[in-house]
Amino acid sequence: MNIDIKHIAKLSRLRIDDEKLEKFEKDMQAIVAMVDRLPDIEEQLTLDRENAMTLREDVAVPDKFTRNELIANAPEVQAGCLVVPKTVE
Amino acid sequence: MNLYEKTASELSEMLRNKECSAVEIYNDVKSRIESVEDKVGAYVTLNDKALEQAESVDKDIADGNEIHRLAGIPIGIKDNISTKGLRTTCSSRMLENYIPPFDAFVMNKINSAKMVVTGKMNMDEFAMGSSTETSYMHLTRNPHNTECVPGGSSGGSASAIASGEAILTLGSDTGGSIRQPAALCGAVGMKPTYGSVSRYGLVAFASSLDQIGPMGKSVKDVAMLQSLICGHDKMDATSKNIEYPDYYANLKNNVKGLKIGVPKEYFGEGIDNEVKESVFNAINLMEKNGAVIKEISLPSTEYAINTYYIIASAEASSNLARFDGVKYGYRAENYDSLTDMYEKTRSEGFGDEVKRRIMLGTFVLSSGFYDAYYKKAKLVQRKISSEFSEAFKKCDVIATPTVPSSAFKIGENIGDPIKMYYNDVCTVTVNIAGLPAISVPCGFDSKNMPMGLQFIADKFAEQTLLDTAYAYEQLSGGFDVITKGF
Repeated sequence: MNIDIKHIAKLSRLRIDDEKLEKFEKDMQAIVAMVDRLPDIEEQLTLDRENAMTLREDVAVPDKFTRNELIANAPEVQAGCLVVPKTVE
Repeated sequence: MNLYEKTASELSEMLRNKECSAVEIYNDVKSRIESVEDKVGAYVTLNDKALEQAESVDKDIADGNEIHRLAGIPIGIKDNISTKGLRTTCSSRMLENYIPPFDAFVMNKINSAKMVVTGKMNMDEFAMGSSTETSYMHLTRNPHNTECVPGGSSGGSASAIASGEAILTLGSDTGGSIRQPAALCGAVGMKPTYGSVSRYGLVAFASSLDQIGPMGKSVKDVAMLQSLICGHDKMDATSKNIEYPDYYANLKNNVKGLKIGVPKEYFGEGIDNEVKESVFNAINLMEKNGAVIKEISLPSTEYAINTYYIIASAEASSNLARFDGVKYGYRAENYDSLTDMYEKTRSEGFGDEVKRRIMLGTFVLSSGFYDAYYKKAKLVQRKISSEFSEAFKKCDVIATPTVPSSAFKIGENIGDPIKMYYNDVCTVTVNIAGLPAISVPCGFDSKNMPMGLQFIADKFAEQTLLDTAYAYEQLSGGFDVITKGF
Protein backbone atom coordinates (compact mmCIF):
# COMPACT_ATOMS: atom_id res chain seq x y z
CA MET A 1 0.00 0.00 0.00
CA ASN A 2 1.18 3.51 -0.78
CA ILE A 3 1.18 5.72 2.28
CA ASP A 4 1.00 9.46 1.75
CA ILE A 5 3.39 10.46 4.53
CA LYS A 6 2.98 14.17 3.92
CA HIS A 7 -0.80 13.89 4.32
CA ILE A 8 -0.58 11.75 7.47
CA ALA A 9 2.02 14.14 8.90
CA LYS A 10 -0.28 17.06 8.21
CA LEU A 11 -3.18 15.32 10.02
CA SER A 12 -0.79 14.67 12.93
CA ARG A 13 0.43 18.30 12.99
CA LEU A 14 3.94 17.11 12.20
CA ARG A 15 6.40 17.94 9.47
CA ILE A 16 8.92 15.48 8.09
CA ASP A 17 12.16 16.95 6.70
CA ASP A 18 12.66 16.29 3.00
CA GLU A 19 15.85 14.30 3.54
CA LYS A 20 14.04 11.96 5.97
CA LEU A 21 10.91 11.57 3.88
CA GLU A 22 12.06 8.52 1.95
CA LYS A 23 13.08 6.58 5.08
CA PHE A 24 9.82 7.45 6.84
CA GLU A 25 7.85 6.32 3.80
CA LYS A 26 9.74 3.05 3.54
CA ASP A 27 9.46 2.30 7.29
CA MET A 28 5.79 3.21 7.43
CA GLN A 29 4.99 1.00 4.47
CA ALA A 30 6.76 -1.92 6.11
CA ILE A 31 4.98 -1.30 9.43
CA VAL A 32 1.56 -1.02 7.80
CA ALA A 33 2.27 -4.21 5.84
CA MET A 34 3.14 -5.89 9.15
CA VAL A 35 0.05 -4.76 11.08
CA ASP A 36 -2.17 -5.46 8.07
CA ARG A 37 -2.11 -9.19 8.78
CA LEU A 38 -5.12 -9.65 11.08
CA PRO A 39 -7.89 -12.27 10.96
CA ASP A 40 -11.46 -11.36 10.10
CA ILE A 41 -13.66 -11.80 13.15
CA GLU A 42 -17.39 -11.75 12.50
CA GLU A 43 -18.41 -10.14 15.74
CA GLN A 44 -19.59 -6.76 16.90
CA LEU A 45 -17.54 -4.57 19.19
CA THR A 46 -19.44 -4.18 22.44
CA LEU A 47 -18.68 -2.29 25.62
CA ASP A 48 -16.70 -4.16 28.23
CA ARG A 49 -19.23 -4.02 31.07
CA GLU A 50 -17.11 -6.11 33.40
CA ASN A 51 -14.42 -3.47 33.42
CA ALA A 52 -16.50 -0.34 33.14
CA MET A 53 -14.82 2.91 34.09
CA THR A 54 -15.80 4.69 37.27
CA LEU A 55 -16.02 8.43 36.71
CA ARG A 56 -15.75 10.96 39.51
CA GLU A 57 -18.62 13.24 40.33
CA ASP A 58 -18.28 16.48 38.45
CA VAL A 59 -17.58 18.79 41.36
CA ALA A 60 -15.07 21.62 41.55
CA VAL A 61 -12.15 21.05 43.94
CA PRO A 62 -11.08 24.41 45.36
CA ASP A 63 -7.44 25.49 45.47
CA LYS A 64 -5.91 22.28 44.13
CA PHE A 65 -3.37 24.31 42.20
CA THR A 66 -2.59 28.00 42.20
CA ARG A 67 -2.67 29.93 38.94
CA ASN A 68 1.08 30.50 39.20
CA GLU A 69 1.78 26.78 39.65
CA LEU A 70 -0.20 25.98 36.53
CA ILE A 71 1.42 28.56 34.28
CA ALA A 72 4.94 28.03 35.62
CA ASN A 73 5.67 25.53 32.82
CA ALA A 74 4.10 27.56 30.00
CA PRO A 75 6.45 28.58 27.19
CA GLU A 76 5.16 32.15 27.07
CA VAL A 77 3.11 34.07 29.62
CA GLN A 78 2.00 37.68 29.77
CA ALA A 79 0.06 39.25 32.64
CA GLY A 80 -0.84 35.82 34.00
CA CYS A 81 -2.17 34.54 30.66
CA LEU A 82 -0.82 32.05 28.13
CA VAL A 83 0.39 33.72 24.93
CA VAL A 84 -0.64 32.16 21.60
CA PRO A 85 -0.31 33.37 18.00
CA LYS A 86 -3.10 35.56 16.73
CA THR A 87 -6.02 33.38 15.58
CA VAL A 88 -8.73 35.98 14.89
CA GLU A 89 -8.24 38.75 12.34
CA MET B 1 29.28 -6.59 51.14
CA ASN B 2 28.41 -3.00 50.30
CA LEU B 3 25.01 -1.66 51.24
CA TYR B 4 24.10 -0.96 47.59
CA GLU B 5 24.44 -4.70 46.84
CA LYS B 6 21.78 -5.65 49.39
CA THR B 7 18.10 -6.17 48.74
CA ALA B 8 15.41 -3.84 50.05
CA SER B 9 14.19 -6.51 52.47
CA GLU B 10 17.70 -6.96 53.90
CA LEU B 11 18.20 -3.21 54.26
CA SER B 12 14.77 -2.84 55.85
CA GLU B 13 15.78 -5.39 58.54
CA MET B 14 19.14 -3.72 59.07
CA LEU B 15 17.51 -0.32 59.57
CA ARG B 16 15.10 -1.77 62.09
CA ASN B 17 17.93 -3.50 63.97
CA LYS B 18 19.96 -0.28 63.85
CA GLU B 19 22.79 -2.03 61.97
CA CYS B 20 22.91 0.92 59.60
CA SER B 21 21.20 4.27 59.11
CA ALA B 22 19.12 5.55 56.20
CA VAL B 23 21.81 8.18 55.53
CA GLU B 24 24.47 5.43 55.33
CA ILE B 25 22.36 3.48 52.83
CA TYR B 26 21.74 6.58 50.72
CA ASN B 27 25.40 7.63 50.83
CA ASP B 28 26.51 4.18 49.72
CA VAL B 29 24.11 4.21 46.76
CA LYS B 30 25.13 7.81 45.99
CA SER B 31 28.82 6.93 45.90
CA ARG B 32 28.01 3.95 43.67
CA ILE B 33 26.20 6.35 41.32
CA GLU B 34 29.23 8.64 41.35
CA SER B 35 31.58 5.81 40.45
CA VAL B 36 29.62 4.02 37.70
CA GLU B 37 27.03 6.42 36.28
CA ASP B 38 29.33 7.72 33.53
CA LYS B 39 29.55 4.14 32.20
CA VAL B 40 25.84 3.29 32.62
CA GLY B 41 23.83 6.48 32.12
CA ALA B 42 20.78 5.27 34.04
CA TYR B 43 19.68 8.66 35.37
CA VAL B 44 18.23 11.73 33.70
CA THR B 45 18.02 13.81 36.89
CA LEU B 46 19.33 13.26 40.42
CA ASN B 47 17.15 14.33 43.34
CA ASP B 48 18.93 16.92 45.48
CA LYS B 49 16.41 16.39 48.30
CA ALA B 50 17.35 12.71 48.75
CA LEU B 51 19.77 13.24 51.65
CA GLU B 52 17.14 15.28 53.52
CA GLN B 53 14.63 12.46 53.02
CA ALA B 54 17.12 9.93 54.44
CA GLU B 55 17.89 12.17 57.42
CA SER B 56 14.21 12.47 58.18
CA VAL B 57 13.90 8.65 58.36
CA ASP B 58 16.86 8.49 60.76
CA LYS B 59 15.20 11.12 62.93
CA ASP B 60 12.01 9.05 63.03
CA ILE B 61 14.02 6.02 64.12
CA ALA B 62 15.88 8.04 66.77
CA ASP B 63 12.58 9.43 68.07
CA GLY B 64 11.20 5.92 68.34
CA ASN B 65 8.49 6.54 65.71
CA GLU B 66 6.95 3.64 63.84
CA ILE B 67 8.42 3.50 60.31
CA HIS B 68 7.13 1.86 57.13
CA ARG B 69 9.07 -1.25 56.07
CA LEU B 70 10.21 0.61 52.94
CA ALA B 71 11.20 3.80 54.79
CA GLY B 72 14.74 4.86 53.95
CA ILE B 73 15.05 2.53 50.94
CA PRO B 74 16.51 4.33 47.89
CA ILE B 75 14.26 4.20 44.85
CA GLY B 76 14.68 5.52 41.29
CA ILE B 77 11.59 6.67 39.39
CA LYS B 78 11.08 6.31 35.65
CA ASP B 79 11.03 9.76 34.10
CA ASN B 80 7.44 9.53 32.88
CA ILE B 81 6.05 9.47 36.44
CA SER B 82 5.18 12.94 37.72
CA THR B 83 7.25 14.05 40.70
CA LYS B 84 6.22 17.39 42.22
CA GLY B 85 9.06 19.88 41.95
CA LEU B 86 11.39 17.34 40.31
CA ARG B 87 11.89 17.56 36.54
CA THR B 88 9.95 14.92 34.58
CA THR B 89 11.12 14.79 30.96
CA CYS B 90 9.85 11.48 29.46
CA SER B 91 13.36 11.64 27.95
CA SER B 92 11.95 14.02 25.35
CA ARG B 93 12.99 17.45 24.16
CA MET B 94 9.29 18.25 24.42
CA LEU B 95 9.41 18.05 28.24
CA GLU B 96 13.10 18.82 28.79
CA ASN B 97 12.32 21.58 31.30
CA TYR B 98 8.95 20.38 32.61
CA ILE B 99 8.55 20.46 36.41
CA PRO B 100 5.26 18.84 37.49
CA PRO B 101 3.10 20.84 39.91
CA PHE B 102 1.74 17.59 41.38
CA ASP B 103 2.76 14.09 42.45
CA ALA B 104 1.54 10.92 40.75
CA PHE B 105 -0.58 8.60 42.93
CA VAL B 106 2.38 6.22 43.26
CA MET B 107 4.61 9.10 44.40
CA ASN B 108 2.16 9.96 47.18
CA LYS B 109 2.47 6.35 48.33
CA ILE B 110 6.27 6.39 48.08
CA ASN B 111 6.55 9.71 49.90
CA SER B 112 4.19 8.67 52.66
CA ALA B 113 6.26 5.52 53.21
CA LYS B 114 9.31 7.84 53.35
CA MET B 115 11.29 6.06 50.70
CA VAL B 116 14.36 7.98 49.51
CA VAL B 117 13.93 9.10 45.89
CA THR B 118 17.38 9.00 44.26
CA GLY B 119 16.27 10.53 40.96
CA LYS B 120 14.59 10.05 37.60
CA MET B 121 15.50 7.20 35.28
CA ASN B 122 16.26 7.37 31.57
CA MET B 123 13.82 5.76 29.13
CA ASP B 124 12.88 5.58 25.49
CA GLU B 125 11.22 8.86 24.51
CA PHE B 126 7.62 8.77 25.82
CA ALA B 127 8.20 5.04 26.53
CA MET B 128 8.25 4.25 22.81
CA GLY B 129 11.06 1.79 22.22
CA SER B 130 12.73 -1.39 23.43
CA SER B 131 16.32 -0.25 23.90
CA THR B 132 16.34 3.23 25.54
CA GLU B 133 18.10 4.40 22.37
CA THR B 134 15.24 6.75 21.45
CA SER B 135 15.91 8.85 24.58
CA TYR B 136 16.59 12.49 23.69
CA MET B 137 18.87 12.72 26.75
CA HIS B 138 21.62 10.14 26.36
CA LEU B 139 22.24 6.42 25.90
CA THR B 140 21.82 3.98 28.75
CA ARG B 141 24.14 0.96 28.68
CA ASN B 142 23.65 -2.58 29.92
CA PRO B 143 25.79 -3.07 33.05
CA HIS B 144 26.52 -6.67 31.96
CA ASN B 145 28.14 -5.43 28.75
CA THR B 146 28.26 -1.71 28.12
CA GLU B 147 28.27 -2.24 24.34
CA CYS B 148 24.75 -3.65 24.66
CA VAL B 149 21.39 -1.96 25.22
CA PRO B 150 19.66 -2.31 28.61
CA GLY B 151 16.33 -2.91 26.87
CA GLY B 152 13.46 -0.51 27.13
CA SER B 153 11.56 1.48 27.52
CA SER B 154 12.36 1.38 31.27
CA GLY B 155 16.08 0.90 30.48
CA GLY B 156 17.33 3.33 33.13
CA SER B 157 15.21 1.65 35.82
CA ALA B 158 16.52 -1.83 34.92
CA SER B 159 20.17 -0.92 34.48
CA ALA B 160 20.22 0.93 37.81
CA ILE B 161 19.11 -2.26 39.58
CA ALA B 162 21.90 -4.29 37.92
CA SER B 163 24.57 -1.63 38.49
CA GLY B 164 23.58 -0.99 42.12
CA GLU B 165 22.64 2.64 41.45
CA ALA B 166 19.25 2.15 43.13
CA ILE B 167 17.83 -0.51 45.45
CA LEU B 168 14.38 -0.44 43.87
CA THR B 169 12.95 1.35 40.84
CA LEU B 170 9.60 2.04 39.25
CA GLY B 171 9.04 1.46 35.57
CA SER B 172 6.00 1.52 33.32
CA ASP B 173 4.91 -1.24 30.97
CA THR B 174 2.73 -0.74 27.89
CA GLY B 175 3.96 -3.70 25.80
CA GLY B 176 6.82 -5.12 27.88
CA SER B 177 8.66 -1.99 29.00
CA ILE B 178 9.29 -3.30 32.54
CA ARG B 179 9.74 -7.01 31.83
CA GLN B 180 11.93 -6.78 28.72
CA PRO B 181 14.63 -4.49 30.25
CA ALA B 182 14.44 -6.44 33.53
CA ALA B 183 15.20 -9.61 31.53
CA LEU B 184 18.03 -8.02 29.54
CA CYS B 185 19.65 -6.58 32.68
CA GLY B 186 19.10 -9.69 34.86
CA ALA B 187 16.69 -7.99 37.26
CA VAL B 188 13.20 -8.84 38.51
CA GLY B 189 10.39 -6.71 37.05
CA MET B 190 6.63 -6.98 37.32
CA LYS B 191 3.79 -5.58 35.23
CA PRO B 192 0.73 -5.55 37.52
CA THR B 193 -2.87 -6.23 36.43
CA TYR B 194 -4.37 -3.32 34.50
CA GLY B 195 -6.30 -1.27 37.05
CA SER B 196 -4.34 -2.32 40.14
CA VAL B 197 -1.88 0.60 40.17
CA SER B 198 -3.27 4.08 39.50
CA ARG B 199 -2.08 5.78 36.34
CA TYR B 200 -2.75 9.22 37.82
CA GLY B 201 0.41 11.21 37.12
CA LEU B 202 1.87 8.71 34.63
CA VAL B 203 2.42 10.57 31.36
CA ALA B 204 0.04 8.70 29.04
CA PHE B 205 1.30 6.65 26.09
CA ALA B 206 -1.51 4.11 25.48
CA SER B 207 -3.95 4.55 28.34
CA SER B 208 -5.72 1.20 27.98
CA LEU B 209 -2.41 -0.70 28.18
CA ASP B 210 -0.10 1.43 30.40
CA GLN B 211 0.66 0.21 33.91
CA ILE B 212 3.26 1.28 36.48
CA GLY B 213 5.19 -1.53 38.16
CA PRO B 214 8.13 -2.40 40.42
CA MET B 215 11.68 -3.57 39.66
CA GLY B 216 14.24 -4.96 42.09
CA LYS B 217 16.84 -7.61 42.90
CA SER B 218 14.46 -10.21 44.30
CA VAL B 219 10.85 -11.34 44.16
CA LYS B 220 10.43 -10.33 47.81
CA ASP B 221 11.53 -6.78 47.00
CA VAL B 222 9.16 -6.52 44.07
CA ALA B 223 6.30 -7.89 46.23
CA MET B 224 7.12 -5.33 48.90
CA LEU B 225 7.00 -2.41 46.46
CA GLN B 226 3.88 -3.70 44.70
CA SER B 227 2.06 -3.92 48.05
CA LEU B 228 2.87 -0.23 48.55
CA ILE B 229 1.88 1.16 45.15
CA CYS B 230 -1.32 -0.80 44.38
CA GLY B 231 -4.77 0.29 45.50
CA HIS B 232 -7.86 2.13 44.40
CA ASP B 233 -7.62 5.76 43.31
CA LYS B 234 -10.63 7.82 42.29
CA MET B 235 -8.38 9.97 40.09
CA ASP B 236 -7.97 7.05 37.67
CA ALA B 237 -11.30 5.99 36.14
CA THR B 238 -9.88 2.53 35.36
CA SER B 239 -8.57 1.91 38.89
CA LYS B 240 -10.22 -1.19 40.36
CA ASN B 241 -11.88 -0.74 43.74
CA ILE B 242 -11.14 -4.07 45.47
CA GLU B 243 -9.21 -5.24 48.51
CA TYR B 244 -5.53 -5.69 47.68
CA PRO B 245 -3.66 -8.22 49.82
CA ASP B 246 -0.26 -7.62 51.41
CA TYR B 247 1.66 -9.64 48.81
CA TYR B 248 4.90 -9.39 50.74
CA ALA B 249 3.52 -10.62 54.07
CA ASN B 250 1.63 -13.44 52.32
CA LEU B 251 4.53 -14.56 50.11
CA LYS B 252 4.96 -18.32 50.19
CA ASN B 253 7.07 -20.87 48.38
CA ASN B 254 4.20 -22.77 46.90
CA VAL B 255 5.26 -25.12 44.12
CA LYS B 256 3.63 -28.46 45.06
CA GLY B 257 0.61 -29.05 42.83
CA LEU B 258 1.04 -25.69 41.08
CA LYS B 259 -0.30 -26.01 37.54
CA ILE B 260 2.04 -24.31 35.07
CA GLY B 261 0.77 -23.84 31.52
CA VAL B 262 3.36 -23.86 28.74
CA PRO B 263 2.02 -22.32 25.50
CA LYS B 264 3.74 -23.77 22.46
CA GLU B 265 3.29 -20.52 20.50
CA TYR B 266 5.92 -18.83 22.71
CA PHE B 267 8.65 -21.31 21.86
CA GLY B 268 8.55 -21.18 18.09
CA GLU B 269 10.70 -19.65 15.39
CA GLY B 270 12.48 -16.47 16.33
CA ILE B 271 13.15 -17.52 19.92
CA ASP B 272 16.86 -18.25 20.54
CA ASN B 273 17.66 -21.86 21.35
CA GLU B 274 19.62 -20.82 24.41
CA VAL B 275 16.61 -18.90 25.69
CA LYS B 276 14.25 -21.84 25.07
CA GLU B 277 16.64 -24.19 26.82
CA SER B 278 17.03 -22.04 29.92
CA VAL B 279 13.26 -21.48 30.20
CA PHE B 280 12.64 -25.25 29.87
CA ASN B 281 15.32 -25.91 32.49
CA ALA B 282 13.46 -23.61 34.86
CA ILE B 283 10.13 -25.29 34.11
CA ASN B 284 11.69 -28.75 34.61
CA LEU B 285 13.17 -27.66 37.92
CA MET B 286 9.72 -26.64 39.11
CA GLU B 287 8.21 -29.88 37.84
CA LYS B 288 10.81 -31.91 39.76
CA ASN B 289 9.72 -30.09 42.88
CA GLY B 290 6.03 -30.84 42.53
CA ALA B 291 4.62 -28.49 39.88
CA VAL B 292 2.33 -29.97 37.24
CA ILE B 293 3.17 -28.95 33.67
CA LYS B 294 0.35 -28.56 31.15
CA GLU B 295 0.85 -27.91 27.48
CA ILE B 296 -1.59 -25.21 26.40
CA SER B 297 -2.32 -23.29 23.24
CA LEU B 298 -2.90 -19.56 22.74
CA PRO B 299 -3.47 -19.58 18.96
CA SER B 300 -4.01 -15.83 18.45
CA THR B 301 -0.52 -15.05 19.76
CA GLU B 302 0.66 -14.73 16.16
CA TYR B 303 -1.46 -11.58 15.78
CA ALA B 304 -0.35 -10.01 19.06
CA ILE B 305 2.37 -7.68 17.76
CA ASN B 306 0.12 -6.39 14.98
CA THR B 307 -2.79 -5.85 17.36
CA TYR B 308 -0.53 -4.15 19.86
CA TYR B 309 1.05 -1.68 17.46
CA ILE B 310 -2.35 -0.66 16.09
CA ILE B 311 -4.01 -0.10 19.48
CA ALA B 312 -0.99 1.44 21.20
CA SER B 313 -0.21 3.83 18.33
CA ALA B 314 -3.86 4.84 17.94
CA GLU B 315 -4.04 5.79 21.60
CA ALA B 316 -0.63 7.48 21.45
CA SER B 317 -1.65 9.67 18.53
CA SER B 318 -4.56 10.93 20.58
CA ASN B 319 -2.69 11.22 23.91
CA LEU B 320 0.26 13.09 22.42
CA ALA B 321 -2.00 15.66 20.76
CA ARG B 322 -1.79 17.60 24.03
CA PHE B 323 1.80 18.60 23.26
CA ASP B 324 1.02 21.74 21.33
CA GLY B 325 3.52 24.27 22.69
CA VAL B 326 0.85 26.26 24.51
CA LYS B 327 0.28 25.08 28.09
CA TYR B 328 3.64 23.52 28.97
CA GLY B 329 6.67 21.98 27.34
CA TYR B 330 8.72 22.97 24.32
CA ARG B 331 7.65 25.68 21.86
CA ALA B 332 9.40 26.40 18.55
CA GLU B 333 10.92 29.84 18.20
CA ASN B 334 9.81 31.19 14.84
CA TYR B 335 6.32 30.67 13.44
CA ASP B 336 3.81 32.71 11.50
CA SER B 337 0.47 31.15 12.54
CA LEU B 338 -1.09 28.83 15.09
CA THR B 339 -0.84 25.79 12.79
CA ASP B 340 2.73 26.69 11.91
CA MET B 341 3.53 26.84 15.64
CA TYR B 342 1.92 23.44 16.28
CA GLU B 343 3.77 21.80 13.42
CA LYS B 344 7.17 23.30 14.17
CA THR B 345 6.84 22.70 17.91
CA ARG B 346 5.89 19.05 17.47
CA SER B 347 8.42 18.39 14.70
CA GLU B 348 11.28 19.84 16.74
CA GLY B 349 10.04 18.53 20.11
CA PHE B 350 9.46 14.86 19.18
CA GLY B 351 12.04 12.34 17.98
CA ASP B 352 11.60 10.09 14.93
CA GLU B 353 10.17 7.05 16.73
CA VAL B 354 7.52 9.15 18.47
CA LYS B 355 6.63 10.73 15.12
CA ARG B 356 6.40 7.28 13.52
CA ARG B 357 3.98 6.03 16.19
CA ILE B 358 1.84 9.18 16.11
CA MET B 359 1.59 8.87 12.33
CA LEU B 360 0.82 5.13 12.46
CA GLY B 361 -1.92 5.91 15.00
CA THR B 362 -3.29 8.73 12.88
CA PHE B 363 -3.29 6.42 9.86
CA VAL B 364 -5.12 3.50 11.51
CA LEU B 365 -7.76 5.86 12.89
CA SER B 366 -8.17 7.87 9.69
CA SER B 367 -11.27 7.86 7.54
CA GLY B 368 -11.48 4.77 5.36
CA PHE B 369 -8.95 2.76 7.39
CA TYR B 370 -10.55 2.63 10.85
CA ASP B 371 -12.56 -0.56 10.19
CA ALA B 372 -9.66 -2.37 8.54
CA TYR B 373 -7.18 -1.64 11.32
CA TYR B 374 -8.37 -0.26 14.63
CA LYS B 375 -11.73 -2.03 14.81
CA LYS B 376 -10.20 -5.32 13.69
CA ALA B 377 -7.43 -4.99 16.27
CA LYS B 378 -9.96 -4.38 19.05
CA LEU B 379 -11.78 -7.60 18.04
CA VAL B 380 -8.51 -9.56 18.05
CA GLN B 381 -7.75 -8.08 21.46
CA ARG B 382 -10.95 -9.61 22.78
CA LYS B 383 -10.03 -12.96 21.25
CA ILE B 384 -6.57 -12.92 22.82
CA SER B 385 -8.15 -12.10 26.21
CA SER B 386 -10.68 -14.92 25.96
CA GLU B 387 -7.96 -17.43 25.02
CA PHE B 388 -6.10 -16.49 28.21
CA SER B 389 -9.33 -16.84 30.26
CA GLU B 390 -9.79 -20.34 28.82
CA ALA B 391 -6.15 -21.21 29.59
CA PHE B 392 -6.51 -20.13 33.21
CA LYS B 393 -9.27 -22.70 33.66
CA LYS B 394 -6.56 -25.33 33.16
CA CYS B 395 -3.56 -23.78 34.90
CA ASP B 396 -2.61 -21.35 37.69
CA VAL B 397 0.21 -19.60 35.85
CA ILE B 398 1.74 -19.59 32.38
CA ALA B 399 5.51 -19.75 31.79
CA THR B 400 7.21 -18.30 28.70
CA PRO B 401 10.46 -16.59 27.74
CA THR B 402 10.37 -12.82 28.43
CA VAL B 403 12.44 -11.84 25.39
CA PRO B 404 13.44 -13.87 22.30
CA SER B 405 17.18 -13.34 22.94
CA SER B 406 19.61 -11.63 25.28
CA ALA B 407 20.57 -7.95 24.94
CA PHE B 408 21.60 -6.79 21.47
CA LYS B 409 24.33 -4.30 20.62
CA ILE B 410 23.71 -0.56 20.75
CA GLY B 411 22.89 0.58 17.20
CA GLU B 412 22.12 -2.95 15.96
CA ASN B 413 18.33 -2.57 15.59
CA ILE B 414 17.67 1.15 15.82
CA GLY B 415 17.49 1.64 12.04
CA ASP B 416 14.95 -1.16 11.57
CA PRO B 417 11.68 -0.46 13.46
CA ILE B 418 10.16 -3.87 12.68
CA LYS B 419 13.13 -5.79 14.06
CA MET B 420 12.91 -3.62 17.17
CA TYR B 421 9.15 -4.22 17.52
CA TYR B 422 9.63 -8.01 17.52
CA ASN B 423 11.50 -7.69 20.82
CA ASP B 424 8.09 -7.38 22.43
CA VAL B 425 6.71 -10.56 20.88
CA CYS B 426 6.48 -12.47 24.20
CA THR B 427 5.30 -9.56 26.34
CA VAL B 428 2.60 -7.62 24.44
CA THR B 429 -0.15 -10.23 24.85
CA VAL B 430 -0.12 -9.59 28.60
CA ASN B 431 -0.89 -5.88 28.10
CA ILE B 432 -3.47 -6.65 25.44
CA ALA B 433 -5.31 -8.89 27.93
CA GLY B 434 -4.67 -6.65 30.97
CA LEU B 435 -2.96 -9.47 32.91
CA PRO B 436 -0.18 -9.40 35.51
CA ALA B 437 3.22 -10.87 34.60
CA ILE B 438 6.72 -10.96 36.06
CA SER B 439 10.16 -11.48 34.55
CA VAL B 440 12.81 -13.23 36.62
CA PRO B 441 16.42 -14.04 35.63
CA CYS B 442 16.89 -17.63 34.40
CA GLY B 443 20.60 -17.82 33.69
CA PHE B 444 23.20 -16.45 31.30
CA ASP B 445 23.75 -17.31 27.65
CA SER B 446 27.04 -18.11 25.91
CA LYS B 447 27.74 -14.37 25.56
CA ASN B 448 27.44 -14.19 29.35
CA MET B 449 24.31 -12.03 29.11
CA PRO B 450 21.21 -12.57 31.28
CA MET B 451 18.01 -14.18 29.98
CA GLY B 452 14.50 -13.81 31.37
CA LEU B 453 11.70 -16.20 32.32
CA GLN B 454 8.19 -14.76 32.30
CA PHE B 455 5.30 -15.95 34.45
CA ILE B 456 1.79 -14.75 33.59
CA ALA B 457 -1.23 -15.03 35.92
CA ASP B 458 -4.94 -14.31 35.71
CA LYS B 459 -6.27 -10.82 36.44
CA PHE B 460 -5.60 -9.67 40.01
CA ALA B 461 -3.83 -12.96 40.81
CA GLU B 462 -0.60 -11.14 41.73
CA GLN B 463 -0.25 -13.29 44.84
CA THR B 464 -0.16 -16.51 42.77
CA LEU B 465 2.23 -14.82 40.34
CA LEU B 466 4.62 -13.64 43.05
CA ASP B 467 4.42 -16.96 44.94
CA THR B 468 5.36 -18.79 41.74
CA ALA B 469 8.27 -16.46 41.00
CA TYR B 470 9.38 -16.73 44.63
CA ALA B 471 9.29 -20.52 44.45
CA TYR B 472 11.46 -20.46 41.34
CA GLU B 473 13.86 -18.02 42.98
CA GLN B 474 14.26 -20.34 45.98
CA LEU B 475 14.69 -23.45 43.82
CA SER B 476 17.27 -21.78 41.59
CA GLY B 477 19.32 -20.72 44.59
CA GLY B 478 18.54 -16.98 44.36
CA PHE B 479 19.38 -14.28 41.86
CA ASP B 480 22.80 -12.68 41.62
CA VAL B 481 21.72 -9.37 40.15
CA ILE B 482 24.54 -6.88 40.73
CA THR B 483 27.10 -6.97 37.92
CA LYS B 484 30.65 -7.62 38.88
CA GLY B 485 33.54 -6.00 37.12
CA PHE B 486 32.77 -2.31 37.51
